[in-house]
Amino acid sequence: MLRYTLKRLAIMPLLLWGIVTIAFFLSHSISSNPLASIVGTRNLGNADVVAAATQRWGLDKSLLQQYFIYIGNLLHGDLGTSFRTKEPVASDLSSRLPATLELALFALIIAVVLGIVLGVVAARNNGRLLDGALRTVALVGSSTPVFWVALLLLFVFYARLGIAAGPGRLSSRVDPPPHFTGMYTVDSLLVGNFPLFSDALSHLILPSIVMALPLLGTVIRMVRAQVLEEQSSDFVRTARAKGMTPSQVTNRHVVKNAITPVITVVGISVGMLIMGAVMVETIFTWNGIGTYAVEASRSLDFPAITGVCLVGGVIFLVSNLVTDIAYAIIDPRVRL
Amino acid sequence: MQHKTLFAHRPIRRGRRTLGAAAAALALMALAACSAPAASSSGGDSGEIILGRSMDVSTLDPERSLCDSCQIYNGAVYDTLLAATTADGDLQPLLAQKWEANDDNTEFTFHLDPDAVFSDGSPVEAKDVKWSFERLANLKGDPSYFMAGVKEVAAPDAATVVVTTDAPNSAFFNVVTAGYTGIINSDVAIENGATADKDAAKTDKAEQWFLKNSAGAGQYVLTSYEEGSQLVLSENKNYWGDDKPNFKKVVIKDVPDASTQLQQLQQGDIDVAMQLSFDTLDQVKSDESLTSEVVPTYNYVYLGISPGAADAPKALDDKRVREALRKAIDYDTVIDATVAGQGSKQASAIPNGFEGSDGLDVPTYDPEGAKALLAEAGASNLKLEATYPTFTIYGVNFSTMFQSIQQSMKKAGIELTLNPLDYTAWGTKFGAGELPLTAVYFAPDHPDAVQYFQYFSLAKGASWLGYSGLSENTRETKGVAKALTETGDARAATYSELGQDMIDDAIILPVVNPQVILAGGSNVSGNNYHVTRNIDLRQLKFTD
Repeated sequence: MLRYTLKRLAIMPLLLWGIVTIAFFLSHSISSNPLASIVGTRNLGNADVVAAATQRWGLDKSLLQQYFIYIGNLLHGDLGTSFRTKEPVASDLSSRLPATLELALFALIIAVVLGIVLGVVAARNNGRLLDGALRTVALVGSSTPVFWVALLLLFVFYARLGIAAGPGRLSSRVDPPPHFTGMYTVDSLLVGNFPLFSDALSHLILPSIVMALPLLGTVIRMVRAQVLEEQSSDFVRTARAKGMTPSQVTNRHVVKNAITPVITVVGISVGMLIMGAVMVETIFTWNGIGTYAVEASRSLDFPAITGVCLVGGVIFLVSNLVTDIAYAIIDPRVRL
Repeated sequence: MQHKTLFAHRPIRRGRRTLGAAAAALALMALAACSAPAASSSGGDSGEIILGRSMDVSTLDPERSLCDSCQIYNGAVYDTLLAATTADGDLQPLLAQKWEANDDNTEFTFHLDPDAVFSDGSPVEAKDVKWSFERLANLKGDPSYFMAGVKEVAAPDAATVVVTTDAPNSAFFNVVTAGYTGIINSDVAIENGATADKDAAKTDKAEQWFLKNSAGAGQYVLTSYEEGSQLVLSENKNYWGDDKPNFKKVVIKDVPDASTQLQQLQQGDIDVAMQLSFDTLDQVKSDESLTSEVVPTYNYVYLGISPGAADAPKALDDKRVREALRKAIDYDTVIDATVAGQGSKQASAIPNGFEGSDGLDVPTYDPEGAKALLAEAGASNLKLEATYPTFTIYGVNFSTMFQSIQQSMKKAGIELTLNPLDYTAWGTKFGAGELPLTAVYFAPDHPDAVQYFQYFSLAKGASWLGYSGLSENTRETKGVAKALTETGDARAATYSELGQDMIDDAIILPVVNPQVILAGGSNVSGNNYHVTRNIDLRQLKFTD
């Protein structure tokens, strides 16, 4: 397994170089000019301002020159400066990524914990009303548009009932904790500020539920199907014949076997949750990497677009690797 | 079936424990959700006011910035030499306690207030003004045009600044009320990479410093800025003026969506909502926990015609055809469709309320008149494509506006096809002068109407002379130059003539001059729309 892991880690830089190169040339292939968003509408026809901005942002250089300068800087850890925020892209990403990671992590916990529990419950009640209800929940969760659920939850629980926290990562007039990880729940715990932790956690609930719904539906259906399949396996009959109680069979054998495929789905979903957080972040004014990516694309902010692709690439590659390793650990039949 | 029985009849202790733990974890989260909004003290108690708006901050370097949110920031942090109250209203002293111009309006002298100090306590001196103005010009950034025509900035002594211009410029005192001309503490800025040298466009390295720090003499200082989240200002404890800051802390929270602004205002998460939609006006008015007022603005949305664009129909060269377009817009219906009737028609590129706008005829919908003009010009059955950015500004959704215009033009026999584009794609074409017909918006920089001739007329050097692709209108060039030698009623009369000239050019067709809803919590007073600051924090107060 160690050899496999090292081999995968060794080819990672090559894959990332490929991602960066494709992202760089693809974003530059769009016919629009980023100067249209760098220079204000008022000055688009002002030759002096346009010329100064063109030179300042290196857009007067050929595409290949720009590419080699970018790669050269990248090798020194410099992801360039955002045309839009005017800050180093590395700094932008490091301030936004923790917000998205925190949201994705909570969504993942909700989807996996609830999904496994409800999937097992559905299987146990196969064919009954409860099973039907849970399968409906799974179907609705997977197929309802995220933006609609988000707006609905905000309207009902925040605007009308006033029992849930509104948009943003913290309540108004509440200052964020000192920066350690950038995740407010973690940082507030690290400084022992429990009211702040509670506030940060409360703001995570609605967006993470919305974000979890599509994955929750998938996990429920998958666990239910796997549990039902495992129940008819020979080893279950053998275990029962050896005198194990049904609960022992379920917990020691059935569930363990049933959740193995779920790991793959969850592993792949981590990357998708993080990089697909755009809609939830926009509606909940969650200043994460999703909204950053959208704004970067809209303004043709080349350094930011390439930086986001690079981070996305790292997240997907690492999560896939971790998934493979976890799969091998849980299922000894798998050899890496 | 056997397994169903197996599950159904035997207790599952560990399973229950697992289920219990999971349920407990989720219950904890649910509890947190329901205990949610942290009991926030009211703004009045804490001295902290929160404004909600869709932030469009381009930068926090005042001499590179050009945006509506920048106007608020610059006005709060970087005091200017003079202050404006309304368009063409009386100017007020700020950093300059006295000011005068020579007879030619080519030399402007400012006498600085000896009490004026920057936020670090150091005095505001003439060298700071000279440095700030020179940097503004030499950066060749978005607001550099404020210094257009400035020949020299001299500092004969620490308390006197003399600005000399190439040509008469009676608008200069108005120009220096714009927040973009705010005075920067030159010593601090230079220490942090700023320069005012001729090559500042290439050598100035201070923009990132300005995103985290400020160096002004305004009522507030920058505490923090997180793009996409919020801008936090705190009171300048060294503020030198008599009118001390009304708040210890001002937070401008990025709330892009108008309906979310209303929800947050109703929940008390923000104290002022700056961009509410007119669709919610009844809801706002009927809510006793809110204060609201609808006031006129100087902002407007216009159609811009470029007969010289590569793909422009030849017919657009004919003024009668452009005039027909003006007559073919059903303004009332468009205003109803876009801002629920809460807007005004506007005669020329000079917005209502600015000097020169009085007495000019507002356009009326006349489809038959438009048809007649088109027939006269031999352009019946005119086909046009409108290319515009897909956004909403000042409450006006451009797609809604053009759909309405499309319908009204149809009645005049004009076939208008709509080509909405993402902003960057649109901006690329607009900047290249490739759009025969488009829509843009404009908000004033300062309280002088000359900005409208310098941007929209066909006078030499005007931006729209380039965009339109038409020849210079020498009458307008002379008119603008003449107006800048004049003051008082004479200048107002010249401005009015220039306004009529721009109407006759039929290049800029203002469509809607929207109003704005000033909405706040019941403990907020002094909510306002300000000509150069967007909102003037000096007027805003808590009543409790």
